[in-house]
Amino acid sequence: MLTTLVTLAAVGLMQQTDTTFPVRAGARLEVNNFGGEIAIKTWSKNAVRIAASHSSRDHISIDASDQVVRIKSQGRRGPSQLVEYDITVPTTMALALSGVYTDISVEGAQGEITAETVEGAVKVSGGAGTVSLKSVQGEVTLEKARGRIDLSSVNEAITAKDISGDLSVETVNGDITLTQIESANTEANTVNGTIVYDGTTKDGGRYRFSTHDGDLRVSVPEKANVSVSVSTFDGDFSSCFPVQLSHKTKHRFDFTIGSGSARLELESFNGDIKICRPGAVMRDSDKNWHKEKDRDEDHDPEDP
Amino acid sequence: MKDRWTDRLSEYLDGELAPNERIALEAHFSECGACRQTLDELRRVVARAQALDDRPPTTDLWPGIARQVGVGAVVSLGARRAQRRLSFTVPQLAAAAVAVALLSGGGAAWLLGRRGTVAAAPSTTAGGSPAPSVANVTDYAGDARYAAQVADLERALERGRGRLDTATVHVIEKNLGIINRAIRDAQSALAADPANAYLNLHLAREMRRKLELLRQAATLAGARS
Repeated sequence: MLTTLVTLAAVGLMQQTDTTFPVRAGARLEVNNFGGEIAIKTWSKNAVRIAASHSSRDHISIDASDQVVRIKSQGRRGPSQLVEYDITVPTTMALALSGVYTDISVEGAQGEITAETVEGAVKVSGGAGTVSLKSVQGEVTLEKARGRIDLSSVNEAITAKDISGDLSVETVNGDITLTQIESANTEANTVNGTIVYDGTTKDGGRYRFSTHDGDLRVSVPEKANVSVSVSTFDGDFSSCFPVQLSHKTKHRFDFTIGSGSARLELESFNGDIKICRPGAVMRDSDKNWHKEKDRDEDHDPEDP
Repeated sequence: MKDRWTDRLSEYLDGELAPNERIALEAHFSECGACRQTLDELRRVVARAQALDDRPPTTDLWPGIARQVGVGAVVSLGARRAQRRLSFTVPQLAAAAVAVALLSGGGAAWLLGRRGTVAAAPSTTAGGSPAPSVANVTDYAGDARYAAQVADLERALERGRGRLDTATVHVIEKNLGIINRAIRDAQSALAADPANAYLNLHLAREMRRKLELLRQAATLAGARS
């Protein structure tokens, strides 16, 4: 992508668009960029600044009303080439960002965020209310968000840090790392990857972590009140502190800590499951993480 | 583990227990992890069953039948449907879980198995090179409604397959392979332990995940048209 931009600039085909205009409080920003980058920053002004680097053959379209600001690019024949957007918005502006071959980043937003791409990473710091980040072939990273959080990828890892609210995380081929989580409702699923959860276990909360090929490392605070259900077909269970197992069957057992008002379900078909005190989980997983990565790097499970 | 409450959990879910029984059972939950666990599983199965597309028939035959047999008051199908409640015994719910799994599995197998038939007519990418197939299908004689949904999905995917980037297709195939392996693992485990609730749910989840990925791929292919 960068190479293409440099090449275009070198032959004099690059064009800069830079415009700033006022927006009403509560307006929403929608950006669609077929390929390139969407980088969002925030400021305290009630205005949007759009800076874009693009081919002179492409046209940037800005359609602003009281409620919505829509930005898209169009080539003379079909989709535009690569466009690099650097957009500054009011802190609380809701964002709907989408692309195909597009990296998306957001820094400091405090409104709702929807970001979807196919071949690109999504990296967001901030967000409140509904925060939904999706990629097929890119890492998804979120930090400092609160609200209803929905993160998904297919072929890459997902990382969330310093999150408050309901959290739903899903990938197929990637690790999931959730740290500094303040949540009463968290669910994380992967097929081929490790899951790390280092966060709260609130009374009455529900937590479910499931993987097929990978380990689970989950924190349980010392004074938690939680009923824990552990299921594994071909893995081991261990705990950093003593627990009294009950209802033990071939592939499943329970135990209760405190009053047991929260529910924690841990499932790994082929991996090990370990619970530790908050903080210890992350330290423990760091040691194992690299082994997992080395083992699974670009491994095609269909290969004989 | 099975105790005297195990077979009453369905009634509890349906709100059909007498108040004193309900109170007793709720007290029992605090000391019986197995019952809580079974209840959770039943809730999941019921939720999944309720989430299935309950498409009404195009024609309500009952009024005509009622006239023929001389039934006075005709109750509309819609009213019946609204009154209908899901109520199962534990074995029925366990069977439902397996059925959901097999239903999904059948569809997945259907999607997977047709690999050879579409390979005969490869689509091409913009660059003219053959686009790898994403999913293929063989005959599937299972549930008609499900088969129709899968057929819609497969057609959408077929229509848009050539528009997907080769790298995207590779990623989708790779991840379908990962899910396939998980499904095979679960099936093998279930063959040795068919009544295992965890394995049944695990298989059902993986099969559903596969359909979701295929659906996502079809949507992506369509979105680029």
